[in-house]
Amino acid sequence: MPPDVSMATVPPLLEVTDLRVAFHTERGILQAVDGVSFRVEAEEIVGVVGESGSGKSVCLMAVLGLISGPYTHIEGSVRLMGRELVGLPNRELRKIRGRDMAVIFQDPMTAMTPVYTVGQQIVEQIRVHQPLSRKAAKARAIDLLDAVGIGAPAKAADRYPHELSGGMRQRAMIAMALSCNPRLLLADEPTTALDVTVQAQILDLILRLRSEFKSAVILITHDMGVIAEAADQVMVMYAGRVVERGSKNQLFANPLHPYTWGLLASIPPLDGERVHRLPSIGGLPPSLLDLPAGCAFSPRCRDVSARCQGERPVLDRHGDHARACFLPLESVAAQRRAGLAASLQPAEAFSE
Amino acid sequence: MLNTLVRRFAQMAFVMFGISVLVFLIFFATPGVDPAARLAGRNASPEVLAAVRASFGLDQPLPIQYLMMMKKMFITQDLTSFVNRGQMIVPELVQAAPVTISLVVGSALLWVGLSIPIGMLAAAFKDRFLDRVLMGLVIVGISPPVFWLGEITNLITQSRYHDTWLFSWVPPLGYIPFSEDPWGWFKCLVLPCANVAVLYIGIYARLLRSNIIEANQQDFIRTARAKGLSEWQILFRHSLRTSLITFATLFGLDFGFLVGGGVLLTEVVFGLPGIGKLTYESLRVLDLPTIMGTVLWGAFFVVASNAIIDSLYAFIDPRARHAS
Amino acid sequence: MTRPLLEAIEVSKSYSRGNHVLARFNETVKAVDQVSFTIQEGESLGLVGESGCGKSTLGRCLTRLHAVTAGQILFDGVDLAPLSLRALRPYRPHIQMVFQDPYASLNPRRRIGDLLAEPLRVHHRGSKAEIAERVGDLLDRVGLLPDHVHRFPHEFSGGQRQRIGIARALALNPRLVIADEPVSALDVSVQAQIVNLLLDLREQLGLTYVFIAHDLSVVRQVTERVAVMYLGRIVEMGRTDTVFRAPAHPYTKALISAVPRPDPTGASRAQRIILHGDVPSPSNPPSGCHFHPRCPVAQDRCRHDAPTLRPVGPGRQAACHFAA
Repeated sequence: MPPDVSMATVPPLLEVTDLRVAFHTERGILQAVDGVSFRVEAEEIVGVVGESGSGKSVCLMAVLGLISGPYTHIEGSVRLMGRELVGLPNRELRKIRGRDMAVIFQDPMTAMTPVYTVGQQIVEQIRVHQPLSRKAAKARAIDLLDAVGIGAPAKAADRYPHELSGGMRQRAMIAMALSCNPRLLLADEPTTALDVTVQAQILDLILRLRSEFKSAVILITHDMGVIAEAADQVMVMYAGRVVERGSKNQLFANPLHPYTWGLLASIPPLDGERVHRLPSIGGLPPSLLDLPAGCAFSPRCRDVSARCQGERPVLDRHGDHARACFLPLESVAAQRRAGLAASLQPAEAFSE
Repeated sequence: MLNTLVRRFAQMAFVMFGISVLVFLIFFATPGVDPAARLAGRNASPEVLAAVRASFGLDQPLPIQYLMMMKKMFITQDLTSFVNRGQMIVPELVQAAPVTISLVVGSALLWVGLSIPIGMLAAAFKDRFLDRVLMGLVIVGISPPVFWLGEITNLITQSRYHDTWLFSWVPPLGYIPFSEDPWGWFKCLVLPCANVAVLYIGIYARLLRSNIIEANQQDFIRTARAKGLSEWQILFRHSLRTSLITFATLFGLDFGFLVGGGVLLTEVVFGLPGIGKLTYESLRVLDLPTIMGTVLWGAFFVVASNAIIDSLYAFIDPRARHAS
Repeated sequence: MTRPLLEAIEVSKSYSRGNHVLARFNETVKAVDQVSFTIQEGESLGLVGESGCGKSTLGRCLTRLHAVTAGQILFDGVDLAPLSLRALRPYRPHIQMVFQDPYASLNPRRRIGDLLAEPLRVHHRGSKAEIAERVGDLLDRVGLLPDHVHRFPHEFSGGQRQRIGIARALALNPRLVIADEPVSALDVSVQAQIVNLLLDLREQLGLTYVFIAHDLSVVRQVTERVAVMYLGRIVEMGRTDTVFRAPAHPYTKALISAVPRPDPTGASRAQRIILHGDVPSPSNPPSGCHFHPRCPVAQDRCRHDAPTLRPVGPGRQAACHFAA
């Protein structure tokens, strides 16, 4: 995970260091991503969890180099296989996008151009990066559609996106992303728009492809269940920052940040006892234009102290588990139980 | 397919029937218009008036008159003008049609050929200098009324600067049929076509620009970027292609409208004896048979172009193919 | 057993899609197909299922936002299904809806105070002062502040807007609240707040809920009984705890097992039943049991013989030939 001298011999597949993305808006500067660092090793699945406005999608777009424009400001470093991408001219970035890293979006219906067939869209991507004939590219597209579990792939290639079902469209989208054998796959809520039974199929597919295509995956989701199933490493984001980072097992068994445990606790369980009231996080996600001083989570935090309101906690490591919180580690477990108990009391007064 | 054709045809017949009835009724309901009085001339005696009424069938009940007129228009095709006795309407329309069609096709070529590059460039350079310049020019094109622009064109090319090297080629106002003199035909249409096109270039360039900009906000453009396409590839293959759906739809409607007589003012200003001019002349003298002929012509083209676009729609937009 | 608050008897809703001249060539979509259930006062019933299962259509039929094609909807013993909109008016205040996207149902140009007062005024519930007091009371109930009455909908976040949507539904003291995906548009941390609010309100006001959602864990949290729908039909119904613990219908089993659980050990994944394919289109559902093409235990019989909902245990029904 964080930079380590002993591992410096082989650069990680992706290394993001202190990434900052700001948008200049009419109402002030919006710091969408505020100093995010992480690594992705080959064939690893890194889950990124967060709510709307947490900066998770912006972060992903910045890695792809798809954030540009006169009102944006990007700082920090994004290294893919040792090569710095921030500041690279678009002409160079274009060669990397779609070839070394590819992306799957949430809604495959809107993410595909409606006037071209699925096959044409896959062929287009192949031919941008590889000197293949149209015919050879089409054959490859059909192979890919087959590989992602689309029955009758030759027929499916001649279908338009709207003619396929939601699950098939997302499979086609994945086939397109894999068309140039990318080392890194970025998946932005790939299952959110799908039905539950189809979601299970797609998650299964992503896991299978990791071993078949040897791609690493950055999996963005708001669903802790999806993370628990698919990710190796997890990063929890809040208001543009990483608040907790660790392996999946560490994070679920021993969440160190109050936001993470609040998130985990607020999911109604599917099995076992039903709780009378869900332990919920009070308040609302903050506006990025008007962040509280100190820790961005402090207005919603049950364990807030005076220090949290004046000073921003940085991500500090505890072994290979890291969190950005001032709460003493030894009291975390006790606080968590107390937090659960507190949530059983009537709802707190609601205010902004 | 057959089903669609049948429905289309029925729709077209219905619209044309409705329009013809409306024109017919408006004509007879217009106060102060007594076709018989007009036909009989000034100070005609009541006897003469009655005779005129009888000879033109104006003493029949309205539905009978309407049916007679339709029969003469479509079946015997010997409907004559109320004003110029003996002037047959159908041949008159047939003679005027090529003029209007030449004018409209010429302008359409100009406006499509120019508005697409202008719209694309403006969208590609959105909010930058080139965009501002192009959109400024386009506004200048949209603003002046057609007749004013036409008159100014004539003033410059026919009188004031006609003898300069620049405009000495401009033929006098009027129309030269293609069959008589193809080069003359071309020359006499250049300026009228440009006049019509100026307005439509403006409208279509602006439309295309905003459609492309809208398309650029779509998720699939983000996907195209993520695939590694260049900005120009994205513009041509994705943004333009999807934007052309609206463009083509509107083009069909405007084209039908213009062929149907929408170029009336331009024809009048440039002295082109097309459908529009015919409509204009017949309106001035309230000549019901001719008005009826031109209105039905216009209705036919508007409805027909609508039908053509609808069926072409399936080719431009695959999403429409399975909707039926 | 007392008379149920709401009883749906073989409710069907179909609509036709397509625009063929001959109506019989249009495809008929049976969105809801002979659905029957009862809800006792104070109970809450969950309707779950994937896209196209008809749960939202059913919800709208129950409030008569949609007309019903066939069947009866007995509200407190009165059949609402055949009533005209006018005759429905006295029943409207008793049945209210909460929508997924409250923003779409809140007029953006009106202040929250007006929005909440509107139903009270329409139904003449008291004087101006009384209405103002009631509005303040409603805001307090849903956890908003009194001075929020002066704000506009866009000034609120998603969770707050849903609170406003709930307040509006409660304004007329309804007996039955139909909530259609009330939390699925919200952030996870806010979802739990709204779920808690709905539970509290039910306790305080003795409300009866029909809770429509695709998120099974939320349905489990909120409801006592649940009906699982697939392509317009109820395939299983029973006490929520029992259905979730030991689903009787193979579809319910697969649906529940498919939900990703926040359990890093992967134990739940190991027992997962992964169904093949997508949900078929409701316009052309499979013959016999709609579920048979995806069903892991389907036999020949399922292809032509549609199972009916039958008791499979105390208070429990399933529509499967093989459910024990």
